[in-house]
Formats: sequence, C-alpha cells, structure tokens
Amino acid sequence: MRPTPTQSTLKHRLGGLALASPPLLLVTIFVGFPIVVAVAYSLGHTGGPNATVSLIAKDQVTVDAWWKQSPGAYGVLLRDERFRRDLLVTVLVSLATTAIVLVLAWVIALYVRLTDTWVSRLLSALAVIPMFIPVVIASWVILTFYASDGFVRTVADQLGFTAPVWGYTTTAVVIGLVWTQLPFATLMVVSGVQGVPDALIEAGRDAGGSIPRVVWSVVAPMALVPTVIAGTFTAIGTLGSFTVPYFTGPNAPKMLGVDMNDYFQSYNLPQSSVVMAVVVFVVASGFGAVYVWANYRSSASTGRV
Amino acid sequence: MATVASRAGAPRARGRALSTVSSRTSGRVLTTALVLVLGVFILGPLLWLGVRAFATGWTYPSLGPDGWTMHWWQAVFDDPNLVSSAVLSFKLAFVTMAVSALVCLPAAYAFARFDFPGRRFFLIGLFATNAFPKMGLFVALASLFYTLGLMSTFIGVVIIHLMGTVVFMTWIPAAAFAAVPRAYEEAARDAGAGRFTVLRTVTLPLALPGILVALIMSFLASFDEAQGTYLVGSPDYVTMPTQMYSLVLNYPPQVAAVFSILLSIPSALLLLLVRKHVMGGQLAEGFQIR
Repeated sequence: MRPTPTQSTLKHRLGGLALASPPLLLVTIFVGFPIVVAVAYSLGHTGGPNATVSLIAKDQVTVDAWWKQSPGAYGVLLRDERFRRDLLVTVLVSLATTAIVLVLAWVIALYVRLTDTWVSRLLSALAVIPMFIPVVIASWVILTFYASDGFVRTVADQLGFTAPVWGYTTTAVVIGLVWTQLPFATLMVVSGVQGVPDALIEAGRDAGGSIPRVVWSVVAPMALVPTVIAGTFTAIGTLGSFTVPYFTGPNAPKMLGVDMNDYFQSYNLPQSSVVMAVVVFVVASGFGAVYVWANYRSSASTGRV
Repeated sequence: MATVASRAGAPRARGRALSTVSSRTSGRVLTTALVLVLGVFILGPLLWLGVRAFATGWTYPSLGPDGWTMHWWQAVFDDPNLVSSAVLSFKLAFVTMAVSALVCLPAAYAFARFDFPGRRFFLIGLFATNAFPKMGLFVALASLFYTLGLMSTFIGVVIIHLMGTVVFMTWIPAAAFAAVPRAYEEAARDAGAGRFTVLRTVTLPLALPGILVALIMSFLASFDEAQGTYLVGSPDYVTMPTQMYSLVLNYPPQVAAVFSILLSIPSALLLLLVRKHVMGGQLAEGFQIR
C-alpha cells in the first residue's frame, strides 16, 4: 500500500536527492572544482591546486595572500590587440553559425510540418547525417572539400571560372561549425514545430491567413522554446569549439578555443589560457541565461512551476 | 476542407486554384534547389573524401582520381599503431558508456520521479558546467590529476570522457522516465507489484528508447573525444580521434581517408540503430527541462 504523503515526504525527498547525487558529485569534483580553481588562477592564485601548473609557466600575475584578487592577467589580455580581435571573431563566428543553423533548421522543419512528402523526409534525413560523423573527421572532410584542390574549386575550374579557396579561412570555420551543429538544432526545431496541432494551423488558414502569416503568428510562437534551446546550445557549443577551427581555420584570426590550446601547450602561458576560458564562460553564461529563461517561461505557461 | 472551399464561392476558389498552380511550379523549383544545395553541402564533403580512400593519387583540377587501389586499406590494417588505437577507442567507449549509465541512470530516475529540494537547480547546474570551455577545465584538471596520480592512466582518460556524457545520460533518460504515465505504475502497484518490480517491468521498458539514445550518444561522445584524451592520456593512451590529428599531418591523405571511414562506421551503425527514436523526438525531449 502506498504511504500517505506526510509519511513519505521527507524520506522520499532525501531518497531522491541521494539517487541524484552520484552525477552531481562527479561533476562537482571534476568540473565544478576545476572551474573554481581555474577562476582563482586567473585572479592570480598560483599556489595550492595551481602549484603544479604554475611551476613552469611563464609571465604570471600573482597575488601574495588568499584574500587578495588581481585582475592583472585580464588586463594584460584585454590590452592585447590580438586577443581582442580573436574574441570578436569568436563571438561573430558563433553568432553567424547560430543564425545560419537556425534558419536552415526552420526551413527544414516547415517543410516537414507543412508537407509530408519524400522531399521533407529526405531533407530532415540529410540534416541529421553529420551527427553520424565524428567531429575530427567532419573538420577534415570540410577542409578537403573547400581546399585549393577541393571539390568546389575543381567544379568551378571545369565550368571555366575560378572559385575562392575557403580552406584555412574563417569562412571554412563557419561552414564546418554549421555542418556539425545542424543535426541537433534541426531535431530540436522539427520536434517543436511538429508539436503545433493541425487544428491550430487549419484554423489560421480558414481565417484567411496565408502560409507565411500562419507560420509567423501561430507556428513560430509555439515553437519558440525549442528554437531558443537549439540556438543556445549551438552558440555555446561554437564559442568554445576547438576541433573545427583547429583543422579548418586560419593562423590569424584564431578562435579562442584554438588560442586556449596554443597558449597552454605551445606558448607555456596557462594563466592566459585560463583567463580566456573564463571570458568565454562569461559570454556563454549570457547565452545560457536565455536558455534558462525560455525553459522557465514554457514551464510557467503550462503550469509546471 | 472541401466544404470550406465550396462555401468560399466560385471566383475566389478559382483564383486560389490558379495561384496554386503557379506557386506549385515555383515551389517545385525552390524545393529541388534546396534539396540539391543541402545534399551537396552535407554529403559532398563525405563523398569527396570517401573516394580518396580508393585513389592512387589525385591531380587538380581533375574531377576523379588518377587511378584506383586498395593499397591504403592494407597500409592502415598493417600499421600496429593504428590498430591498437582502434582497439583502445572501443574499450574506452564501452567503459565510459557503462560507468556513465551506472552513475547517471538512477539520478535520471530521481530527477523524473522525486521532488527533492534543488532539483531544477541541479539539472541546470549539470548543463552550466558544460558551458565552461573544455580547455580551461583541462588546465585546472591537470593539477588535480597530477595530485591524484591520474595522469596517463586509463581511469584518468575515462573520467575525461565521462565529463562529456553526464548531461546526455541524465537529461535524456530523465525525460523518458518522466514521460511514462504514472497511472501505469500505480496500476501495477495496486495489482500488488513491489516498487522494484514496477520499475523493472513497467517503467524501464517504456523508458527504454530514451535510455538507448542516451547510451549511444555517450558511446559516441567518448569515441569522438580527442583534445582531453591527448592532454591526459598521451603518449600511453592514443585513441583513434587523437591519432587523426597526427595522421592528417604525417600520412598521405588517402590513409587519413581510410581511417576516417573506419572511424565513422561505428557511429553510423549505432546511430542507425536508434535513428527512429532520435528523429522521433527522444533527443529533443531530453533537452527541455521539466
């Protein structure tokens, strides 16, 4: 027999917390703790858990007591023109990728929603394919496809004109990121648009609304939350991305994911690397806040909060 | 719909029909263009590289290779380094998947069925940790790993791989558990089944598609991880993706092409297995916090 609510509440709640704790502990120890350590390091704390890394590092800003904080390392980087340029490029690439991915996802989602033909099924199947390919491979195939001896240039040459070389350019980075991020966004948006009931769309049509009008005032608002989720994940995923820009991008400007790697491994400047990570984290948190807001809004509107 | 059209009156209906014909042709052109562009954009790079795995050489600007050969496949299978990295990749992916399931599935159930303090906060917290760039994390983790003696160990690499799976492994199954109607569970309990029997015979089977998607996603996340594996594992633990970094620079492109195909086969097979559930919204459902 089921226990009465009063009997169960406390035990039930604690039991739930206990069951939920293993991944939380894991993440706290191996992600949460390092984040705190990294932020401390970026503010000049080179002792304690940071002692090993800072032992051989160059040009560090340090503080001599635990209660002091120094923004020095941030100052050095923010005054560095190269860093400012790379930060700008990273944010722009992230925004451009997100915009392109969302537009593509929406076009596919609308095809799937409004026409149930082999074309719509083909489109959604195509968009999901990159999910089947490891990112390292994806970056490599994108590079060879748009390289100076790649497919695009070859076809253009056969047709008698010269196409630009996109390999090792920021354009290739955006192409590669769109390629790798498209499946997730498409799945999210398609699922959101599919969730709009037929009756609502038909009601809109019967009221004399054209298809664009119905999409704009009926479908779009109802699929807003999955769109925001897709956008946030794409933006955050691209901001800190390493593999795609590492393989396909130019030597300058670099995306910060590649910079972080270089500063740590090649230039022996782990503190700068960590400062970049914190800066990217701050930008990503901004995107993340939108995600949390969208989720909260949807929960509130359906009375789940 | 037919009744609506007839009620709308003849002239308007005819106007609509005419415009449908013209919009249908332009629509068809647009659709074909879209399919073509997306097809070349997505499949083009894969085919372009795939052909390379069987090519003796390739001279720009020829549309096809100079000649055909299976030589590169032999080269890859004869290289003990490449074979051992493939074995290691599979081993790591299986261990990561299993440990991740063990750690996260009970938690996913708890997130779906228990109302404990901070539930929402923890769910979002799991995600928030994902927003911190991996590289910054690795710098800080390096010290921790040295202290704990995890550098260049199998366990160290597994921990790095686990980090990339926790969110999938908790969120997607949590959504799947939450979608199982409570009435079914209650009916089974009323029929005298114990809590555990209900879980085993009612809840788990119904949530299985979501769990399967999560399992495969984490297998692939592990199979895909290169940056952290390189930092923590090398030179003792070199997986296929890590190998790819040096392959691209040091081997002929055909070898990298063969290796790429080999590396993509497991992902493609596994995802085909759950394709229906992934497309059916299990993945999408998992990313909406309830």
